[in-house]
Amino acid sequence: MCFNSLFFLFFFMLINFFFLVYFIMNGLSVFFEWENVTFNSMSIVMSILLDWMSLLFMMFVSLISSVVIFYSKSYMNSELNLNRFIILVLMFVFSMVLLIISPNLISILLGWDGLGLISYCLVIYYQNLKSYNAGMLTALSNRIGDVMILMVICWVMNYGSWNYIFYFDFMKNDYVMFIISFMIIIAAMTKSAQIPFSSWLPAAMAAPTPVSALVHSSTLVTAGVYLLIRFNYLLIDMFFFKVLLFLSILTMFMSGISANYEFDLKKIIALSTLSQLGLMMSILSLGFPDIAFFHLLTHSMFKALLFMCAGVIIHMMNDIQDIRYMGGLSLYIPLTSLCLNISNLSLCGIPFLSGFYSKDLILEMVSFNSFNLMVFILFYLSTGLTVFYTFRLIMYVMINDFNLMMIYNLYDEDYIMLNSMFVLLFMSLLSGSFLSWFIFSYPYMIYLPFNLKLMVIYVSILGSILGFMVSNMSIYSLNKLLMSYNLSSFLCLMWFMPNLSTYGLSYIYLNFSQILFKNIDMGWSEIYSGKGIFNILKNYSVFYNVYQMNNFKIYLFSFILYFMILFIFFFI
Amino acid sequence: MAQIPLGVKTHAQKVCSLYKRALRNLEAYYDRRHVYRYQAVLLRERFDKHAKETNMIKANELLKEGEEELFLKQHPIPKYFATSPGGVAHERVVTPPDWVLDYWHPLEKAQYPEYFKKREQRKKEFVAMWEKEYGKPDEKDKHH
Repeated sequence: MCFNSLFFLFFFMLINFFFLVYFIMNGLSVFFEWENVTFNSMSIVMSILLDWMSLLFMMFVSLISSVVIFYSKSYMNSELNLNRFIILVLMFVFSMVLLIISPNLISILLGWDGLGLISYCLVIYYQNLKSYNAGMLTALSNRIGDVMILMVICWVMNYGSWNYIFYFDFMKNDYVMFIISFMIIIAAMTKSAQIPFSSWLPAAMAAPTPVSALVHSSTLVTAGVYLLIRFNYLLIDMFFFKVLLFLSILTMFMSGISANYEFDLKKIIALSTLSQLGLMMSILSLGFPDIAFFHLLTHSMFKALLFMCAGVIIHMMNDIQDIRYMGGLSLYIPLTSLCLNISNLSLCGIPFLSGFYSKDLILEMVSFNSFNLMVFILFYLSTGLTVFYTFRLIMYVMINDFNLMMIYNLYDEDYIMLNSMFVLLFMSLLSGSFLSWFIFSYPYMIYLPFNLKLMVIYVSILGSILGFMVSNMSIYSLNKLLMSYNLSSFLCLMWFMPNLSTYGLSYIYLNFSQILFKNIDMGWSEIYSGKGIFNILKNYSVFYNVYQMNNFKIYLFSFILYFMILFIFFFI
Repeated sequence: MAQIPLGVKTHAQKVCSLYKRALRNLEAYYDRRHVYRYQAVLLRERFDKHAKETNMIKANELLKEGEEELFLKQHPIPKYFATSPGGVAHERVVTPPDWVLDYWHPLEKAQYPEYFKKREQRKKEFVAMWEKEYGKPDEKDKHH
C-alpha cells in the first residue's frame, strides 16, 4: 500500500510539475466547468481552476505527502492498522487537492471540512487520553472555521453564485463583502492557528510524527493562508489589514517566546511552525500575497524535513520526546543530524538556503515600506527568537551530553526514512532559488540603508549567542533571570491562552448545566412527572390496601364495582 | 457519606514520597547531570537536617511546609518517561484482557481453530499452576 501510494503521488507531482512549467511559460490559466444539472434558471456546476498557484501548491503537497507516506512505511512499522493510517493520509491529500483547485466556495467547503475531519481522525490515531483531548481541541477549533465558511456561503448567495473570484473587482466597497471578508479572515485564523485559536497546534502533536510532518507543518495549517491568498483582494480594506496584522504579529512573537521555554521536541517544532504561520499571515496582511505564498512553500519543505528528523530521533530514544533526555546525537546519527541542521539553518534564514530567500525578502519588504515601529520591532525580534530557539534546540539535541542512560547504542541506519529525508533535503536546499525564479518574473527593487539591511544578521547573531548561553547550564545568572518561576511558567504555557480558551470558556456553562441538571432534571421534574406520580400512585395503593384485606379477589371485584357505579351515574 | 480511607501512610513514607518528588522536580529544572547532582546533594542536606526529629508535631509541620514549597516550585513541564502515566506514549497500545476471547462469536473462533481447541486445557493448566504456587483462593474472596 505504501509503495503504491508513493509512486502514484510522485507521478502526480511530476505531472503537476510539467503542467506548471508549461502554464508559466505560456501565461495560461485554465478554468474547467462541469454542468451537472440545469433546470430552468438553477444550475449546479462543478468548477476547477488550474493556474500557476494551484499547480505549484499541488506539486509541493504531493511531493511532501509521497515522501511522508514512504517514511511512515518504516516509522509506523509496528502498527497493526497501517492500512487505515495510509488511507486516512491519502484522504487528507485528496481533500487538500480539492481545496487547492477549487474556485468556488462549495468545493472549498468540502475540502476544508474534509481537512478538519481527517486531521481529527489522524490526531486521535493513538488512542490514549492525551490524543483524545488533543483531537477534541483540534476538531472543535477547526469547526469554528467551518461555521464561518458556511456563513460566507450564505452571504455570497447575495451575488448569485459561489464563484468568488469573479466578484472581487466589482464589489470591493459593498457591505456584504465587508461581512464576507470578516468571516473569511476568522476562518483562516482558526485553520492557521492565529492568536485566539492557537491552542490546538501544540496540542495536536499527540499525533504520530508522519502526520505532524504532513499535516501540521505544510498542508493543514497552510490551508488558511492559502484561502486568504486567494481572497487577498478583500484585505485591501484598511480595517482588516490592521486586525490581521496585529493578531498575526502577536502570534509570531508569542510562539517564538514559548518555543524558548518548551521542552518537548515536537512542541518546539510546532511552535516554530506557528511562528512562521504568523509571519506568513502578517506579510499577507501587509499586501504581498506572492511573498506569503513563496514563504509558505519553502517553509513546508524544511518544516516537513524537520519533523521527519524529529521522528527518527524519537524512534531512537524509545518514544521519549523530551529534549532534556537527549544530547550528543550528532555523533551517532550523522545523516539525520545533517538533515536536522540544514532544515534548522534554513528556518533561521541563513544565507542562500531556501528559507533565506523568502524570509529575507519578507523582512526587507517590511523595512522598505515604512510601517509602525512596533511592527518593525516585533518582526525583527521574532526573527531573533527563531534563531534563539533553533540554537537552543541544536545545543540540547546535538551538542550537550546524552542524558538518558549510561550505556547506549544509537543508530540511524533505517534507509527508508533516510531516503525520504534526502528528497526533502534536496528540495529544502534548492527550492528557495527555484521558486524565486518561478514565482517572481521580476525581482522586487529594495533600497535600504546599510545597517538596516544587516539588521537580520545582527538579530540572528544575538539570538544564537543567547541560545547557546541559555542551554549551557553552568551559566547561572542568565538562567536565573530568564527562568524565574512566574515568568517562565507564564511564557512556556503559551501565555495561558490554551487554558483561557478551553477551560475558561467552558467552565461557567458546564457548571451552570450541572446545576440545571441536578436541580431540574433530577430534581423538580422528577417530583412532578417521573418518580412523583409513581409515589402518588403507590401511596394510594397502600392506603386502599387496607380495604382489600390482603385478598386479591376483592381488588378485582373493585373494578366491577367501579363499572357498576359508572353505569349507575351515566345511564340512570 | 464518609469515605473509607484506602490506606494509611506512615510519616516516613510521606517524607520519602516528598523527597522523591522534590528530586524529580529538581531533575526537571537542572537537566545536566552534574548540576543536578550538586542540587540533589543540597536538597538531601536540607532533609537530613531534620531527619532525627522526635517531636511529631514539628515533623508534621515541616512536612506540610515542604509540600507547600514543592507545590509552589513545581516545574510547569515536568520530565516524564514516555510510557509512564503523564508521558506522551502512555497507553498508546492497549492489549485486550484474556477473558475477551471467551466472548467471541463461534464464527470468529472458527478462524483460529488450533488455538481454541487447546484453550480450555490451557486455562485449566494455568489455574493449576497458580494454585500450586499461591494456594487455593479463600471462599470469602469469591463473594462481594
